[in-house]
Amino acid sequence: MVPDGAGLHQLGSWTVIALLVLFYGGTLLMTVFIGRKNENADGYMTAGNKVGFGISAGSMTATWIWASSMYASDTSGYTYGISGPIHYGLWGALMILFIYPFGKRIRAVAPKAHTLAEVIYARHGKSSQLMLAGSNLVGSMVSITSNFIAGGALIALLSPFSFTQGIVFIGGGILLYSLWSGFRASVLTDAAQVFAMLGAVVIIIPVVFFAAGGPDMFVTGAANLTPQQSNFFSSDAFLNQGAPYIAAVLAYAIGNQTIAQRLFAVREDLIKKTFVTATVGYGATIIGIGMLGVMALYAGVAPLDGDTNNLIPQMAATYLNPVLLGVFLIMIIGALSSTADSDLSAMSSIMMADVYGQNIAKQGKANPKTMLFIGRITMVVATGAGLYFASGRLNILDLLVFVGALWGALVFPVIASFYWQKVTNKAFTVSVLVALAMFLPVRFGWISMAGPAGIVVDVLSVAGIGVVLGLMAFGFFGLKVAKIVAVVAMVAAAPFAIGFLHDYAVLSGSLVAYAVSTIVCWLMCFRNTKTFDFSTIKDRIGDFDNRAEANHGTPEPLLETKA
Amino acid sequence: MSEFWLTLYVLAWPVIVAGVLYVLGKAFIQEILEARREGRPLI
Repeated sequence: MVPDGAGLHQLGSWTVIALLVLFYGGTLLMTVFIGRKNENADGYMTAGNKVGFGISAGSMTATWIWASSMYASDTSGYTYGISGPIHYGLWGALMILFIYPFGKRIRAVAPKAHTLAEVIYARHGKSSQLMLAGSNLVGSMVSITSNFIAGGALIALLSPFSFTQGIVFIGGGILLYSLWSGFRASVLTDAAQVFAMLGAVVIIIPVVFFAAGGPDMFVTGAANLTPQQSNFFSSDAFLNQGAPYIAAVLAYAIGNQTIAQRLFAVREDLIKKTFVTATVGYGATIIGIGMLGVMALYAGVAPLDGDTNNLIPQMAATYLNPVLLGVFLIMIIGALSSTADSDLSAMSSIMMADVYGQNIAKQGKANPKTMLFIGRITMVVATGAGLYFASGRLNILDLLVFVGALWGALVFPVIASFYWQKVTNKAFTVSVLVALAMFLPVRFGWISMAGPAGIVVDVLSVAGIGVVLGLMAFGFFGLKVAKIVAVVAMVAAAPFAIGFLHDYAVLSGSLVAYAVSTIVCWLMCFRNTKTFDFSTIKDRIGDFDNRAEANHGTPEPLLETKA
Repeated sequence: MSEFWLTLYVLAWPVIVAGVLYVLGKAFIQEILEARREGRPLI
């Protein structure tokens, strides 16, 4: 190792090169092993719809663990103390868990779908589809850029290479193994990468714990924590980290095509087992990594340059020997690569199925070879764009906030569309746009919250709490329980929230988005006398490669018959 | 929280992760063997 000026140990150039070549070279070899001369367009998107439990659960876990989740959990542990990692990792894990009951319904309605937006097209039409598909694309682009930045920063910190060199190596490595086989490559390599990541966590957390002083650090370092930080039930941690994240649970679950893709890929009877396992795997891993932040707090470590994103590499470089530092590098590279390759596959499937398959190609005449070409070009363009944004170190967090709000506004219309026959395309589109229009001024403080405006926001936030908890209950327990949970939640929250919640712009903004889209959608639909036959969806969505199963007939909408 | 519970709190997570690793590893190997037995691609 070569000590650098900041007192942190680095890995030598050749060591880093060897590790990256080993990682990406090994991953590329795996994909060569499964590669076919003539790839199948449907396989490129959903790998045949019959992936087994081990591979799909491993892939789901690896996909959801991105570098930013590790860094964010660590920051949460350092900022909010002992409960911080729980308020990041637990709710993030629930994003996987809460989608699976809805996923079973969506899969039953459209067993051969490739993207959620494709199913929304069959349910409603173009505008709804493109709204969801567009938000998926933007979300994946943000994720790719974020992962490139994390990788570049890590390589720059731990080696003599520059940030730009780091992102080029990572971007190139990921594209190389993803390009030919698409989703099939993503899922298989994820399953392998998850062993590296989780294996690293199992070793690194205890090693750092004992190297930092073991149980004694909780005694010697107790004075470093504020009362809120040392409280497991910290209200600070809950209101600033946990609650906004709970509100985001369903939004990220619905809005992220990487989850939907795995829902469509896994064998149908394995959905529950896969997603429950991924929930536990993700939660334990991310909360465990967050403990590094807690340990840093107790040990009195000050983040380099005041940036808490430096904490993880700092702790690793301080307490790990060269071999384990290399393992740590592989853990982070594995996390960001598994997510980035999933985002590339997600983006390519949206361009293939939603943009080309449903909107550009004539009905029933999508050419699978053209689709494959489009999918691969999408990956190249997305990687290039990610490198461009990452090299400029553009602040993409505001974009992520916007996308998260759009997803929040989409949650009720999307879920309701699979259960309630009365939801229409117009209601879907209008409710999302109105919700977004209400979200922006609340989230970014464009209007003063003093006086009546604040009360209105608080009342809508209370409604949002009811919507969030009601939808979560609906997935597992049905409509009756959901209504009871929603009402009880609103009644319980109202005395505490009204007059107060508008001070928390992040949380109230999200809740307003949920509430407004639900209220507007419901008001526009409840008197609708037309119904929708859900069984027609599976007739409209099939394999692109098997022409016999592809959509036939007139492109018309949606069969709506009067009740 | 006492020293003992905090230690347990920190070290419980890698233990759970090890458990998940075991479940995933066992399933992955079974799928590889089954695919070989049936003469079909793993994915």
